[in-house]
Amino acid sequence: MYYKFNGVTQRLVGAAASAAYNPQGLKPIVATESPALIFGTTTKLASDLPATDSFLGKNKVPDLQKLFQKADGLPVHLKRGVPDKLLYRTTMALTIGGTIYCLVALYMASQPRNQK
Amino acid sequence: MAHQAHSYHMVDPSPWPIFGAAAALLTTSGLIMWFHYNSFQLLLLGTLSMLLVMLQWWRDIVRESTFQGHHTPTVQKGLRYGMVLFITSEAFFFLGFFWAFFHSSLAPTPELGGQWPPTGISPLNPLEVPLLNTAILLASGVTVTWAHHSIMEGNRKQAIHALTTTILLGFYFTALQATEYYEAPFSIADGVYGSTFFIATGFHGLHVIIGSSFLLVCLLRLINFHFTSNHHFGFEAAAWYWHFVDVIWLFLYMTIYWWGS
Repeated sequence: MYYKFNGVTQRLVGAAASAAYNPQGLKPIVATESPALIFGTTTKLASDLPATDSFLGKNKVPDLQKLFQKADGLPVHLKRGVPDKLLYRTTMALTIGGTIYCLVALYMASQPRNQK
Repeated sequence: MAHQAHSYHMVDPSPWPIFGAAAALLTTSGLIMWFHYNSFQLLLLGTLSMLLVMLQWWRDIVRESTFQGHHTPTVQKGLRYGMVLFITSEAFFFLGFFWAFFHSSLAPTPELGGQWPPTGISPLNPLEVPLLNTAILLASGVTVTWAHHSIMEGNRKQAIHALTTTILLGFYFTALQATEYYEAPFSIADGVYGSTFFIATGFHGLHVIIGSSFLLVCLLRLINFHFTSNHHFGFEAAAWYWHFVDVIWLFLYMTIYWWGS
């Protein structure tokens, strides 16, 4: 008998082996078994394609899962390295620079205009 | 992976909330500068930074869920509550504009000619393009449900087809509304009729665009194998939002377009 945690009733309930070997919410860091197990055997998937059918690209999710679960101490918004850092710095420059510009503009707008 | 004795998600420190707040400041101040001083830079800066923050914040959520596995059933329950509360708040937002419409139209003042539509206003025929738009949104509600069932059954090709059809219907609605706006014999400046009509339908149109964008992101995620047959809350949230947009249109159609003509 296998068990899983039912999030609604907050109790352990009976489950099939596949649910026990693939706990809810947890994904394996590296596929130690065959790739099919990452997705489970009883759950039918949107990605459950025969090997020959490549309708609109192949499944890169397992590789991305490995990449984002690397224990490198990076926060999720910088996990991908250089492209993330560039985007982050651009956003920071625009928002912080913009805030300063905004405060200056609001200060000038609040000065009474003498000509009428 | 996590050494925690609970199923909640303790997120990594993130800069997006504070940057998002700054972006909101820039956008609102930018509106002021545009309205009163005819200057665009701040508004441009504001919308650009808002876009960047939204992209990166939601990108991080996809990373945390699909790639890092943090979205346990407990976390998902919280997200469901969150989406329901958000849509409820949007319903109240529209309620205000419907209130404004009924305030003016149930007892039209002498300044309007004591009638609704007011004297001089030729309203749009509800049985022409507005009726087509109603059919389009109802059909898109069907296709998005079809897409949902396809995802749950693991049928990838059908799910992609159904979701694409939904998005195309959304774009068709937007295009038709845009031509209606262009061709309308009255404008937002035409008294309280113009104001209530264009503010209510205008905000609805904005929500259609937001909903279509949300569905488009879901389509890209669907194509990239992010959804499983029993865990696809991003899609469900988009579908809920889309149904909400559809319901708002039905109310708009029945009250402003039909009763109000």
